[in-house]
Amino acid sequence: MDLRLDLMWNRLLAATNEQAATLMRAAFSPIVREAGDLSACVFLPTGEMLAQARTGTPGHINSMANAIHHFIEAFPPETLAPGDVLVTNDPHLTSGQLHDHTVVTPVFHGEKLVAFVGSLCHLTDVGGRGLGIEASSQFEEGLCIPISKLVERGVLNDLLVRVIRANVRTPRENLGDLLAQTAGNAAAGSAIVEMLESLGVPDLTELGRHIIETSEKATRAAIRKIPDGRYHGSVVSDGIEEPILLQCAVEVCDGHVHVDWTGSSGPSPHGINVVLNYTHAYTSYAISCLVGADVPNNTGSLRPITVYAVPGSIVNARWPASVAARHIVGHFLPMAIINALAEPMGERGVAEGAANIWLTQYRGTTVDGQSFSFAMSAAGGMGARGDKDGLSATAFPSGVMGIPAEIAESSAPLLVLERSLIPDSGGAGRFRGGLGQRLRIATLAPGGATVSVLLDRLAHAASGLAGGRPGRSGRAWIEPSARPVTKASFTLRPGEVLVLELPGGGGFGAPSERSIEALRGDLREGYVTGEAMERDYITTPARLIIDSASGE
Amino acid sequence: MIMAVRIGIDIGGTFTDLVLVDANTGVVAVEKLLTTPDAPEHAVLAGIDKLLRSASLAPSDVTNLMHGTTLVANSLIERKGARTALLTTEGFADVLEIGREGRYDLNDLGLELPRPLIPRRFRLGVQERMLATGEPYRPLAPGSLDCTIAECRRLSVESVAICFVNSYANGAHEAAAASRVAAALPDVFLSVSAEVSPEIREYERASTTAANAYVGPVVARYLARLSSGLRERRISAPLFVMLSSGGLASPAVAGMFPIRMLESGPAAGAILAAYLGGLEGVADMLSFDMGGTTAKACIIERGRPRTTSQMEVARVWRFKKGSGLPVNVPVVDLIEIGAGGGSIARLGRLGAIEVGPESAGAEPGPACYARGGALPTVTDADVVLGYIDADYFLGGKMTLDVGRAREALRLIADSLHLRIEAAAWWIHRVVAESMASAARVHAAERAVDLRTLPLVAFGGAGPVHAVSVARLLGSPSVIVPNSAGVGSAIGFLVAPIGFEVSRSRPSRIDAIEIAEVRRAVGEMERQAREIVVSGGVRREDVQIDYRVTARYAGQGFEIEVDLPEPVQWTRATIEERFRARYGSLHGVTVEGVPVEVATWRVVARADVHPLETHTAPTARSDALKGERTLFRQDSERMADVPVYDRYRLAPDWSSQGPLVIEERESTLVVPLVAHVRVMPGGSIMVTGL
Repeated sequence: MDLRLDLMWNRLLAATNEQAATLMRAAFSPIVREAGDLSACVFLPTGEMLAQARTGTPGHINSMANAIHHFIEAFPPETLAPGDVLVTNDPHLTSGQLHDHTVVTPVFHGEKLVAFVGSLCHLTDVGGRGLGIEASSQFEEGLCIPISKLVERGVLNDLLVRVIRANVRTPRENLGDLLAQTAGNAAAGSAIVEMLESLGVPDLTELGRHIIETSEKATRAAIRKIPDGRYHGSVVSDGIEEPILLQCAVEVCDGHVHVDWTGSSGPSPHGINVVLNYTHAYTSYAISCLVGADVPNNTGSLRPITVYAVPGSIVNARWPASVAARHIVGHFLPMAIINALAEPMGERGVAEGAANIWLTQYRGTTVDGQSFSFAMSAAGGMGARGDKDGLSATAFPSGVMGIPAEIAESSAPLLVLERSLIPDSGGAGRFRGGLGQRLRIATLAPGGATVSVLLDRLAHAASGLAGGRPGRSGRAWIEPSARPVTKASFTLRPGEVLVLELPGGGGFGAPSERSIEALRGDLREGYVTGEAMERDYITTPARLIIDSASGE
Repeated sequence: MIMAVRIGIDIGGTFTDLVLVDANTGVVAVEKLLTTPDAPEHAVLAGIDKLLRSASLAPSDVTNLMHGTTLVANSLIERKGARTALLTTEGFADVLEIGREGRYDLNDLGLELPRPLIPRRFRLGVQERMLATGEPYRPLAPGSLDCTIAECRRLSVESVAICFVNSYANGAHEAAAASRVAAALPDVFLSVSAEVSPEIREYERASTTAANAYVGPVVARYLARLSSGLRERRISAPLFVMLSSGGLASPAVAGMFPIRMLESGPAAGAILAAYLGGLEGVADMLSFDMGGTTAKACIIERGRPRTTSQMEVARVWRFKKGSGLPVNVPVVDLIEIGAGGGSIARLGRLGAIEVGPESAGAEPGPACYARGGALPTVTDADVVLGYIDADYFLGGKMTLDVGRAREALRLIADSLHLRIEAAAWWIHRVVAESMASAARVHAAERAVDLRTLPLVAFGGAGPVHAVSVARLLGSPSVIVPNSAGVGSAIGFLVAPIGFEVSRSRPSRIDAIEIAEVRRAVGEMERQAREIVVSGGVRREDVQIDYRVTARYAGQGFEIEVDLPEPVQWTRATIEERFRARYGSLHGVTVEGVPVEVATWRVVARADVHPLETHTAPTARSDALKGERTLFRQDSERMADVPVYDRYRLAPDWSSQGPLVIEERESTLVVPLVAHVRVMPGGSIMVTGL
């Protein structure tokens, strides 16, 4: 009976959400708590994913679904016993970066293996060069743990623990996180066993079939909203030394989408190469957002979306290419797909946005002689939607949130002097692109700070859609010398100010179609200046008959 | 405090509930009037008149009035606040709009962010700067401030919020700016972040300060009208206002920090559950308050509702977490776990039954109200299942139309090829499942195991659904207090007078200067104590609780740790307390990682006299009213079960379910075999679920 299965489905989802909530509280890594950079999932013993917690990053959508099969291959059911826990951080098996650790626990109901429960958590440090682009191969990026037993029949694997301790800068935090993952998996495992017992069900087979069939059907139905055909799209990002082209052919046929990334740029010598799992994740994410499938992630909802990328290209990294900062490229992937489907999707599309989160890392020595290291993140504007303006200073496609100025200043000798929206930075259109933001940052460290920046869209602005204009491109420089900043490391001296102007999103539809009310609002609140209004919207403040002194 | 005749007043969205208790005679009078949204004091004053008449008391007999209102929440939700300006540090005028830069639902490309309460042209930068250490970096420039004051005048604002960067560490610039604004614009309401919410994170603090300013003039006008109405009636008894933290405060304090009244009604419900649990000897429990539009739960520990300092109001996008305005004030840690009686059931896109968040409200209401509603609601399902007696709704004041309820449910039953009773049972079950899931996630986030906590149920629909929810949560028991249907208004009468002062001072524990912290906390304590004493409490009756939030360096979430008297503080004792609390919450401690403290909190409170009104019902043998047919959840079929009258149950009564116990405002439904008995304090307990 379907309704009973739906109840069980909801309980599985609740178990994963519970697991994710517990992990988020206990996690040490800032990116986990600020961005929800973690996942929690339930799988059948045969590896089909049945449920995944709704968390903050699209990058894990397929990573977990694909990773489980590697675990089963490495440790087939007959090699597993109650009390075993498996772990890996191999970028190619999971989500494309060594920091992400996947912990998988087999769940037994009596003697019988009934499920796997898995979680993925971004750990604080893995040794090596950290999260930047500097490494030229994965060997420089840190410790890689092949799929291993972290715990065997309830006993912690001492050798593995010693290997981790010997290789990472934050061994206590890492082990704290791995044990929290283990405990969370155990809790979700007992919730599953309790559910089976209370409902008198032997295993998850029938439920699994129901979840996968229902989800696949609903996803295919949503995809059928796109007319069958082959569509092409691309996006260009600044890259490190040369621009990166991401190009895709999207083939839609009777509820199935195949995305082929052939034609995209070749490998990069820097740590921005993307493993196929991660490319797959952002591809699935873009398609399911666009068609508005709103189906929980599982093997069924992922099945109608397939991906190909040329091995060795930037979107299908070949080991041992360096991958630590793969999000720099990954965050542009959805833009290419959205561009490809702009025509058939019509008003359901979204214009290009800032794409990347801008990351800046500050290192140096405080006035007390303590060394410090602090990472700031900030988002530019999102592209305009087909029925509303783009969101200003809001991350898309990532879900990472910004770091408050007061948190930065209380953690490191930094001074955030400005964080404000940039007027006229949103691309003009019937619906305006989201505005970018300006940050002005100085350091109070007497010797200055070494700053590494990961910026993009300085050269390539976010394009508009359906007649909308591009957003303003990003800019970065140092005051007072006005020396420009690109993707590099440099010293910020006391008295200097790093100015970051983040890009705005593209507009949607012709600017001439923007409503008078919206233009009045733009002008009254200063989102668009009078000058830009004349240039981009071919109208003047006088013609809008503004009474700026009046209320709302 | 002598509290002979107390009146509790709860202004809700639909009804204004009033309860009068006379401690001398044990008289309890209850009134329920329609809320008068444009001038809420009208219903309050009319209700007081009626109460006094029915209890045959004179206005001068009233010794205390306790009051809660949804006025603040409504002003924010409906955007009906004052014309408000925000003064920020130059460069941060957009902090209210930039927010946290995240999307609360990754899969919804159409999502909307909350529109800032204060539009951009009303947000003005001032030249000044404090450092995170609290040292001034750039002095407050009087010329720049005067320009913004002139702009405020030009914009004819009624209210001004001031939030400067790092003011949680040193509020001197804010205070100086506030006094200059007050001198220049004597009629505006002032809201200063270091006073309203001196906690780190500029967006959340600005949002809280702005919301406080936005509602300030509205609340001030309302309290003035209410006071003058009371004076006209020659009621001179002190008026107390319920704060979201579950403490009562004087109108003067509430008027300065109106944002602290945000959740006053629901907080009172949790206070009541804690109090009544205490009467039965239960200190830890989960309160479960289910009304017409929502169900709320709160974890109660050691006799007190858990509190938090973070909440969200006025969610703009499909009720989703993250789509509202953050407000950081002390608040009872309530979670909205789901639908209410009026919530509408439908088939979702995957073909499963979904309930809410859309509600039929009071108008047109559920289909069985026969006021034009045609969509199936939770109440319609309960009527079809026999859980609500169509002839005894609100004690028989209203008759429900079973035929219309069945007709509405047919929509769902037909598409699923189910009988109408079966469809009703699925709706009831889906509601219970979703509430249980939400409660479990809430508990997991707080590392609480719900399987050890009795479920204390109240609100109109609470006792109808409590047993179903408790079974899913694995609760050891369900406890249903007397007069469960008007819980919040009674809650006001048992709440302590209290006020919390907090201050963020983030630091590694090994770097704090204990003497300096003691001095700062002593100052906070004096402030909190004075506020409570100003509410008419004797100085020696004030109790002080000390708490600090702490975490391992590198973690993002602090946990709250109870502290002893400051004289006993050392770095080691505070760290020890943190490690013990962390261990009991997470089951592990992390050795070798340093500990950081963030926010110090001082709560001053004075407990009021207990409510001595539970006149034990006289033993009556005719409590059994009859039988009715309802859906048994164990056999999954309709069956006849006995119906008891709550008002006639003997103090030592006990029985076996399935059964139903009716009172005027609600019905306890035990739809399966279970043990049911009256407890010493008068509540009913269901065990053996």
